[in-house]
Amino acid sequence: MQTDVLVIGAGLAGLVAGWQAASRGRRTQVIAKGWGITHWHSGCLDVLGYYPPESPEAVRSPAEGLAQLIEANPGHPYALAGLDAIGEALDAFQQLCAAAGYPMHGSMERNWLLPSAIGALRPTCLAPETMIAGDLGQRQPMLIAGFETFRDFYADLVADNLSAQQFPARAVTLDVPTLRRRRTLTGVILADLFEAPEFRAEVVEAIQPRLGDAARIGFPAVLGLRQPLGVKHDLEERLGRPVFEIPSLPPSVPGMRLHRLLVAAIEQAGGRVYEGMQVVAADADDGRVTAVWSEAAARRKRHQANAYVLATGGVLGGGLVAEADGRVREVILDLPVAAPPDRSQWFRRDFLDPAGHPIYRAGLTVDRSFQPLNGTGQPAYSNLLAAGATLADCDVLRERSLEGVAVVTGYLAGRRAAELT
Amino acid sequence: MRQVETQVLVIGGGATGAGVLRDLAMRGFEAILVEKRDLCHGTTGRFHGLLHSGGRYVVKDPPAAVECIQENRILRRIMPGCIEDIGGFFVVTPWDDPAYGERFELGCRKAGIPVEDVPISRMLREEPRLNPRISRCFRVPDASADSFLATRLNAESARQYGAQVFTYHEVTRLHMTGGRVAGALCHDLVRDEDVLVRAHLVVNAAGAWAGQVAASANLSVPVLPSRGTMLAVNQRVLNTVVNRCKMPSDGDIIVPAHSVAVIGTTDEPVSDPERFAVENWEIRLLLDEGEKLVPGIKEGRILRCWAGVRPLYQETPAAGGDSRDVTRSYALLDHESRDGVGGMLTIIGGKWTTYRLMAEVTVNQVCARLGSGSSCRTALEPLPGPEHATYHWLGEPLADVENASAYADLVCECELASRADVERAITGGDAHTLDDIRRQVRLGMGPCQGGFCSYRAAGLLHAVQAPAAGEANVALRDFLQERWKGLLPVLAGQQLRQERLNELINLDVLNADHLPGPAASRLAAMMYEPAKDGR
Repeated sequence: MQTDVLVIGAGLAGLVAGWQAASRGRRTQVIAKGWGITHWHSGCLDVLGYYPPESPEAVRSPAEGLAQLIEANPGHPYALAGLDAIGEALDAFQQLCAAAGYPMHGSMERNWLLPSAIGALRPTCLAPETMIAGDLGQRQPMLIAGFETFRDFYADLVADNLSAQQFPARAVTLDVPTLRRRRTLTGVILADLFEAPEFRAEVVEAIQPRLGDAARIGFPAVLGLRQPLGVKHDLEERLGRPVFEIPSLPPSVPGMRLHRLLVAAIEQAGGRVYEGMQVVAADADDGRVTAVWSEAAARRKRHQANAYVLATGGVLGGGLVAEADGRVREVILDLPVAAPPDRSQWFRRDFLDPAGHPIYRAGLTVDRSFQPLNGTGQPAYSNLLAAGATLADCDVLRERSLEGVAVVTGYLAGRRAAELT
Repeated sequence: MRQVETQVLVIGGGATGAGVLRDLAMRGFEAILVEKRDLCHGTTGRFHGLLHSGGRYVVKDPPAAVECIQENRILRRIMPGCIEDIGGFFVVTPWDDPAYGERFELGCRKAGIPVEDVPISRMLREEPRLNPRISRCFRVPDASADSFLATRLNAESARQYGAQVFTYHEVTRLHMTGGRVAGALCHDLVRDEDVLVRAHLVVNAAGAWAGQVAASANLSVPVLPSRGTMLAVNQRVLNTVVNRCKMPSDGDIIVPAHSVAVIGTTDEPVSDPERFAVENWEIRLLLDEGEKLVPGIKEGRILRCWAGVRPLYQETPAAGGDSRDVTRSYALLDHESRDGVGGMLTIIGGKWTTYRLMAEVTVNQVCARLGSGSSCRTALEPLPGPEHATYHWLGEPLADVENASAYADLVCECELASRADVERAITGGDAHTLDDIRRQVRLGMGPCQGGFCSYRAAGLLHAVQAPAAGEANVALRDFLQERWKGLLPVLAGQQLRQERLNELINLDVLNADHLPGPAASRLAAMMYEPAKDGR
């Protein structure tokens, strides 16, 4: 099959780029070493949570924060995109999720504050419907429910921290018969169990005597992988109160829902997504990328397309490797990487230093079309685009802009790639 | 102010102090040990875990070699559960003087250390990753030891004999009456209050800190603190301790310890045992030297770097000042005969391997001074705990986990520490911080360096001790910073990728940097100073 757009990387940026190219009628393939950030992150869409990153106060309005950021930091991917395009990309993403029956609620005008799995107030722009009853813009008393043998959620700690911040909350740690019989319990297993009405009945029975004055009930974010809204509504009906999810340690069930949703959107538009194909090299000629090479089990495979989107991630995703000798490499095309000049400037002394560690701002410099630039400031290849955490000049974790940068840049790079073919 | 009285006060909760405490208690003395942090917080918790055969010292320091082999035999008997009998090689690489081999072998025989000439083909069969250009190999009874466990068992045994252990009690100054040392004024860091411990006799076993303790009574104990830097690589690349067969020097050993291999060490004088840097040249040197023993080790994932401070002691400093030339033997100072100040003994120098002997001679002198006490039995009576030799490699706990199908119970998946292990450390082990838990169950010491288990352990600490949420928060933040401390000098490549995942979990998902409570507690670990040669 001929390919118009080849996206390398299946994190959020790569999947959004693939969806954009495919939905514009381009023959699209997404190939990746493995699944990306969707299996690790919160499952929300953070656009801008703290700005400047060292500010102790969360950003109230992402739109206002972005305006500030764009002015102060013209090299930031958000600044390259511009406010209008950011809004357009988020709207499109919201529409996609709503159409898929998994609405992401919120707007650029106001960040949600939602409880984290340790009881911190987590700012985020768009949250799935399964999480929004945890809104800490309100103070109705909460009951936080954990499970006796589930090691990735500590309800007492969540409730105590929320109470300490004047959000009334109590905790209950449930001893559910089905779980007593299980020797292995992960979030994904719990999500699977929650899709069975019998298991939900057990949970409801265990929780009912402890409801007290609680006006809403928070669970770890494991309320089903395939039918989360059905699970949520059923629990709400039986408990007579709103129910919400709190994201915790990876693997992320809400992130996996977004992953499934995006893969389905790409496939519906005729595109294909393949994992287990790590791209290891590329061919170029006359200023164009002509092919990339993936390494599968036994052989190298050549992939040709008219346009390529590099969405391989940063240090975490593996698109950038920061070597002990101080060099920071882009792993496929060896594109120039903007990075601190030597290793002595990579880190700050405190892990939690609010300003973040400079090495994580390393990345590819791109123009306003998201084409990576070569050493002389010209597009490195006329048919190559880049998106997501591989881009320079943003620390998506400290800014709490991880998903926002991925969706916005993936959207624009995918759209541009479609235009190029 | 709270006041406590005892017969003998021991200062320092490392191997020596805990050993002295046990010996005292077994000989019928009433005794209290004070330690400024947790047991093993100092040098005992920061070395490569080598049980010396003495081979390292046979040419340079024969008396130290003899002490080592004698104690090596005793420790194997009294703490089999703390020692992994993997044996040791001394190997001559192309970079070493081939003539040293003869001197080494002769020295071993003189010191009474069993030594076996191992054919290179056999050496490579046993340790295929060793450099095939090695020309000679000797086998000696080195071993890998768990100094954390050994020290805890000494303390536990001492408690069984009636002694008390006060951790997080920092000595502010020695307490003097009538020109004699009569105890110590301590600060309890957990309760944030002063405590006066009165004693008939004080044993200063503060190691690299002994000079500071003595100075508060205007006594001079010339400690030469010397930093030894080590690296942990993320694989047990060897199953034998491997030493370079040459005069002791930087980077001359690799010790397999639990799930990792430790490359050691450097030897650099420091002016303050708390404030020093790990320099970049040390890391480069350790990797370069490690590469000579195990080609390819440099390409592996470097997990972490740390430095311990040797409590070297020399009554009259030698000219030249190279700390490699200072004896590794120990010294017992009776300040009454030495300085005319009664009431205190200082035990200083030595090796972890000789801690028991140091305790024995110290307590002999306590008996002489206090005119009571029975004879020493620490060489005969085993420590509490497992009576069989254990293996520290991951296969053993993994088999337990598999047999119990208890994967869900693992709090630290890298080091296979279960929820029950962590809860025991909190309740029975008197853990105040996540770092205290780490010293007991190796929490966070594997490849992810606390990425997943920090949150879980904080959750359990909160569930078990039910402190205010703010305290659990700061315990989490302290631990993240403590792990960061040892990553900072070596972080790159795959380990940097891991660390970014830890940021994702702890900052982006949990938002642990925006929780109530202070940024760090007074129990937080000290950082290394910035390196002078680069950062």
